[in-house]
Amino acid sequence: MMRIFFQKYGFLLVIWLPVGWLSLFFMLPLIEMINVSFSEARRAVPPYNPAFQIGEKGISFQPVFDNYLLIYDYWGDYLWPAVNSIRLAFFSTVWCLFFAYPMAWWIARSKKPLQHILLVLVLMPFWTSSLLRMYALIGLLNPNGVINDFLLWAGIIVTPIQMMQTDFSIYSGMLLTYLPLMILPLYASLVRLDNALLEAAADLGAKNWEIFRTIILPLSLPGVIAGCLLVFIPAVGEFVIPALLGGPEQLMLGKVIWTEFFRNRDWPVAAAIAIILIAIIILPVVYARYQDKEGLS
Amino acid sequence: MPPFIRIQNISKKYGVLQAVDAVSFDLEKGELFSLLGPSGCGKTTLLRILAGFEVPTSGLVEIDGQNMANVDPADRPVNIMFQNYALFPHMSVFNNIAYGLQRASLAKNEINHRVEDLLKLVHLTGMGERKPATLSGGQRQRVALARALARRPKLLLLDEPLAALDKKLRSDTQFELVNIQEKLGTTFIVVTHDQEEAMTLSTRIGVMNEGQLVQLATPNEIYENPKTRFIADFVGDISFVPAKINRQDGDYWLMDAAVPIYAACEHNLEAGKSITLAIRPEKITLTPEASGKINEFPVRIDDWAFYGAGTQYRVTGPGGIKLKLFQSHNQPSNAQLRPDQIETGFIHFAPESIIILEDK
Amino acid sequence: MKWGFVVAFSGFTAISGYALAEGNLNIYNWSDYIAEDTIANFEAETGINVTYDVYDSNEVLEAKMLAGSSGYDLVVPTADFLARGREAGAYQDIDLSKISNAKNQDADIQGQANNMLNSASAGLVYMWGSTGIAYNGDMIAERLGDDAPTDSWSLILDPENAAKLEDCGIAILDAPTDVLPNVMTYLGFPGTSTDKAHFEAAGEALSAIRPYLRYINSSQSINDIANGDICAAIMWSGDAFQAAYRAEEAENGHVIDYYIPKEGTNLWFDVMALPVDAKNVENAYKFVDYMMRADVAAENVNYVWYASGNKAAEASIDPEILSHPGIYPTDQAKEKLFVTPVYDTKTDRIVTRVWNRFSAGN
Repeated sequence: MMRIFFQKYGFLLVIWLPVGWLSLFFMLPLIEMINVSFSEARRAVPPYNPAFQIGEKGISFQPVFDNYLLIYDYWGDYLWPAVNSIRLAFFSTVWCLFFAYPMAWWIARSKKPLQHILLVLVLMPFWTSSLLRMYALIGLLNPNGVINDFLLWAGIIVTPIQMMQTDFSIYSGMLLTYLPLMILPLYASLVRLDNALLEAAADLGAKNWEIFRTIILPLSLPGVIAGCLLVFIPAVGEFVIPALLGGPEQLMLGKVIWTEFFRNRDWPVAAAIAIILIAIIILPVVYARYQDKEGLS
Repeated sequence: MPPFIRIQNISKKYGVLQAVDAVSFDLEKGELFSLLGPSGCGKTTLLRILAGFEVPTSGLVEIDGQNMANVDPADRPVNIMFQNYALFPHMSVFNNIAYGLQRASLAKNEINHRVEDLLKLVHLTGMGERKPATLSGGQRQRVALARALARRPKLLLLDEPLAALDKKLRSDTQFELVNIQEKLGTTFIVVTHDQEEAMTLSTRIGVMNEGQLVQLATPNEIYENPKTRFIADFVGDISFVPAKINRQDGDYWLMDAAVPIYAACEHNLEAGKSITLAIRPEKITLTPEASGKINEFPVRIDDWAFYGAGTQYRVTGPGGIKLKLFQSHNQPSNAQLRPDQIETGFIHFAPESIIILEDK
Repeated sequence: MKWGFVVAFSGFTAISGYALAEGNLNIYNWSDYIAEDTIANFEAETGINVTYDVYDSNEVLEAKMLAGSSGYDLVVPTADFLARGREAGAYQDIDLSKISNAKNQDADIQGQANNMLNSASAGLVYMWGSTGIAYNGDMIAERLGDDAPTDSWSLILDPENAAKLEDCGIAILDAPTDVLPNVMTYLGFPGTSTDKAHFEAAGEALSAIRPYLRYINSSQSINDIANGDICAAIMWSGDAFQAAYRAEEAENGHVIDYYIPKEGTNLWFDVMALPVDAKNVENAYKFVDYMMRADVAAENVNYVWYASGNKAAEASIDPEILSHPGIYPTDQAKEKLFVTPVYDTKTDRIVTRVWNRFSAGN
């Protein structure tokens, strides 16, 4: 009975399982967030009056635009954290790329067994909680942390260096968290790079830097782009890292959303900011993809 | 006047593995030379040493009087055409060919001019804007050749230049390659495991085995007078017959094999010594009846294969001698010598066609 | 997830011999807010199987309550959060007649809380405290001399003092509703004001000391002041004593003390309350009743060093705690204490805005 079922409908299962998965865990929460962002805040459980309702009176949809208007009215309050988020996420991405590229190159050019060990090492940090890693970093960067203690002991500095609550601590945390997400796609594109291409370039008179610029970099560009998106997108909305490692100067949109949600108890405005953030990040990516397709045809 | 290319005592060791073992040879300017050998014989390592990708453990490479030690691949007057062409997939045909010229910081006009000439040379005019992925195998091979020639190297190395092409395309391309080489006068070294390719392309062939250069001669010489059993076996088809030297008999030497065989030899042989006789299939003639010629004996036809231009047979003679022979269809009667018509026959061959291999 | 955990947990406790018949109780309380053996004692006495989870901010608790179906039977929000939660309909009234030990409650404290909550049946005050200043006396004296104002908000809020303390480190709670009203008091405005201009004035006063602040954070200062990394901080009373205790334990030579500034400060009350959808209401009553027992309440105070809402417990409270003016304020200090009103949505937004401007440093 079961066997016949699978023989007959197995292919449907294969198609609909991912679709169901994505709808359940990606589309539905997103739709609910859009719904909340168009709802009216109130003091109740839940603390908003859903714009889209299925109830005794049937299905109704009464969107409220106040939340978006409020963001528009107070745009000055949101612009700076937004710019700051993009700045911190951008430079975090740049730093990740800067450190990940040589590492990915080295792994991709290593012999097979070593390559697998190195890849496991890259993924190893994921085996511990990110929160623990952040606290470990605090232990290193604190005024009385390991690094300052060592420098004081060695007589290199007389007063502790302020590393916590700075851009530096944010970048350290971002690097620690997101470096593997940059290394893996870079590795994937570099490992496919045929050694003969590099030799051909050298043979045709290219110096090391020219080989990198004209052959390696353009051919690893898909990996660079994938890695940058994988780092930049979550980094923009990052909450934990600036909350633990940053100070007020490192205010990011994640914290602004948190404030709207927890301090102002305004879930709809929090949702609206999140939606706008998604739009700001996603639209350029979609546009770039679209341009890409246009260019190909 | 030193030779144009001088390779002296080149050795390369990887740990205990002797990849190249004291190889020496000289080339003249404009030669089309082939390095022939089975895979793992060291020919590719030697090629990479010449290109500068590997540093020899010992030995000397000189090109046009210049010592190549400590010269980077980028600075050598040597270019290489890679086995799978290694075309840059993200660049157009034009940019692939221009790559080496751009690295040399040539003027844009000059580059355009030279790339156009090269495209013409390899019959790809108008294809400059195409990407390699959109080209056929033969076209890609020609782009690779043009790219390697762009810097006007003194020496061009070709790594299995025809291996990636299908058979029909291969023979056309072979002649094209020779034409271009003759037109430009560039010295070519072709590395190949395909003896037919080496034969048709080159003026001289160096046969390599286990890191050593075992014979260096013209294609004809290598075919007719292979120095060792390995070469004889590797180059062309051949049958081996173990024998012992008996005595000189008139113009020939009498050999004791399963049947007595007369062989011609220009130098003196040591009576009683065990040797191997080798004979090429096309040197043997098969007839339905005995003709009374020297070196004639009856055989049973075991097997045959029709090749269009001729037929190949496998026969067994007295004492179980197994021989391969090839009868050209230039004589209509030969076409009838088929096992479905006759099961036995006679073969004979000239004593001069026998190769005496003393090594084993 | 939560339920999976609860089910697995109760399965485990059933094996270990608890009487399951008495049912379950799911409690959600502040971290480090109860004596170590209180729960075990309650379970042993009643046979009720307790699942005890903790949070470390009112905001987290509030979000759970507002989302609904939290699964908890008893929670301990601070009064202003409880008031808002009640407005939203997230909590149920409690029936005091079911809590015989309610008679032990401090009528004055409970009364103030009830005023704030606008109800006499919202819940019972578990502990209460103040917002004040924790300081390292030696480090302050080094920089400000012996007559440093270690009885006033001016120690931190006066830019002159703040500038002198910058190098030894000062910090402020990241809790606008506990800081802004006090800054208003310091400026001479009523701490209970909801006037936008008053909030903005307080924001400006904070901005004046902003350059000298090491950070604005509610949890980091406990360790830092205990280690001597900072020398003064606006803190909650209980946290300050936790820091003092840690410094003493570490024997690092730092002595931390806490005071309620003479200008006055806000009081807060953590109230035991029942979510509207509590499943084990009877057991929750039993637990509240147990917690209201004088001996149990005293044990908890001796452990966490906050003032208890339980008057009868005072007989068994450590005299060191009872006599500390930072924990149990003197009658004179009590006059200046106030209770922050529950802000409406508009005021919430003003407070947040002022606070964000200040903390961002622009």
